[in-house]
Amino acid sequence: MANSFDREEYSAARVKALESLLIEKGIITAQTVDKVIEFFEKDMGPFNGAKIVARAWVDPQFKARLLADTPAAIADMHFPRGMAGAEGENMRAVANTSQVHNLIVCTMCSCYPWPVLGLPPYWFKDPTFRARAIREPRKVLKEFGLDIPESVEVKVWDTSAQIRWFVLPERPAGTEGWTETQLAAIVTPESMQGAAKVVVPAETKTQGESE
Amino acid sequence: MQIKFEQFAAASMLGSEDSPPRDNGEILFQRPWEGRAFGIAIALSKQGCYEWEDFRRALIASIAEWESAHSKDDPDWDYYLRWLSSLEKLVLAASLVSEQELEDRTRQVLADRSPCKQD
Repeated sequence: MANSFDREEYSAARVKALESLLIEKGIITAQTVDKVIEFFEKDMGPFNGAKIVARAWVDPQFKARLLADTPAAIADMHFPRGMAGAEGENMRAVANTSQVHNLIVCTMCSCYPWPVLGLPPYWFKDPTFRARAIREPRKVLKEFGLDIPESVEVKVWDTSAQIRWFVLPERPAGTEGWTETQLAAIVTPESMQGAAKVVVPAETKTQGESE
Repeated sequence: MQIKFEQFAAASMLGSEDSPPRDNGEILFQRPWEGRAFGIAIALSKQGCYEWEDFRRALIASIAEWESAHSKDDPDWDYYLRWLSSLEKLVLAASLVSEQELEDRTRQVLADRSPCKQD
C-alpha cells in the first residue's frame, strides 16, 4: 500500500527532525538517545529476569523472598545499575506451580516490567491480544502452543502503573544439578510472561536421551 | 489480514525449539525510528521535560483514540505510531519545539533524501 510506505517515510523523517531539533536546542546531546537505547539493550532486559528466575530455582529462601517482597529480592541480585526508573517500579513476581498457571497482560496500555523482561513483544501490545487474554486466557495460551489442563487454574494478571507482574516459571525436569548460569540461559521472556513454559533445548539434553 | 498477533507470536516471539537462537527477547524495534522515538521519550522524561506518567497517559489516550476509530483486528495497528504521536504532543505542550519548527524540519529531512531509492 503506497500510503503506508509514505507514512513510513514520514514517520522516520518526523523522528529524525524531532531529534535534530532537540539536539540543536541543547535539550539532548547527539549521544543521549544512543545511551538510552543501549541501557535498555544491555543493562535492562530479559537477561535480568532470567537470572532472578535461576536464582529462585536453586535458592528456596530467595524464592520465598522474591514472592513476598519482589523489589527487595531483586535488590539482592546486585544488578549493575539501579532497576528503578522508567517502568521499573513496583514489580511483583507470581509463581507457576502444578496447580496454577499465571499469565501477565496489560489491558490499559502496554505497561511492562522492562527491567526484567526487556522490551515488550509485539503481540503483547496488540489490542486484540490484550482483550482476548482477559476474556479467554486458555484459548490464547493454546494458540501459543500451551495446553493448560482443566485441573490447573489459569490466573491473568493485569499489569498497571501500580504493579508490574512477572511470572516465575516452573523449573523444567532434566535440569538437576545445573548451575544458575546454565539455568538462566534457558529462561525465555515468554516464560516470564506466562506465555510459554521453560523447556530444555534439545541440544543441551543429556547424552543418551533420544530426541 | 497480514498482521495477526498469532503470526507475530509464532514467527518472532514464541518460536519452537528449532527457531533461530533467540536473542532472548531483546531488541524488538522493527524499524530504526522506533528505537529513536523510544529513546527520545525516555530521555526527555529523564531530564524532567515532562513526567513519565504524563507520557504514559498520553500514550494510553492515543491508543484509546485509535481503538475507538478502528476495529480491534485492524492490521493497520501500529504501536510506535501511537508512541510517536504521544511524544509529539508532549514535546509541543512543553514548548521544547514548536509545531512550525517540527513541520519545517520534517519537510527538510524528506527533501534531503536522495531521489533515487536504493534497496
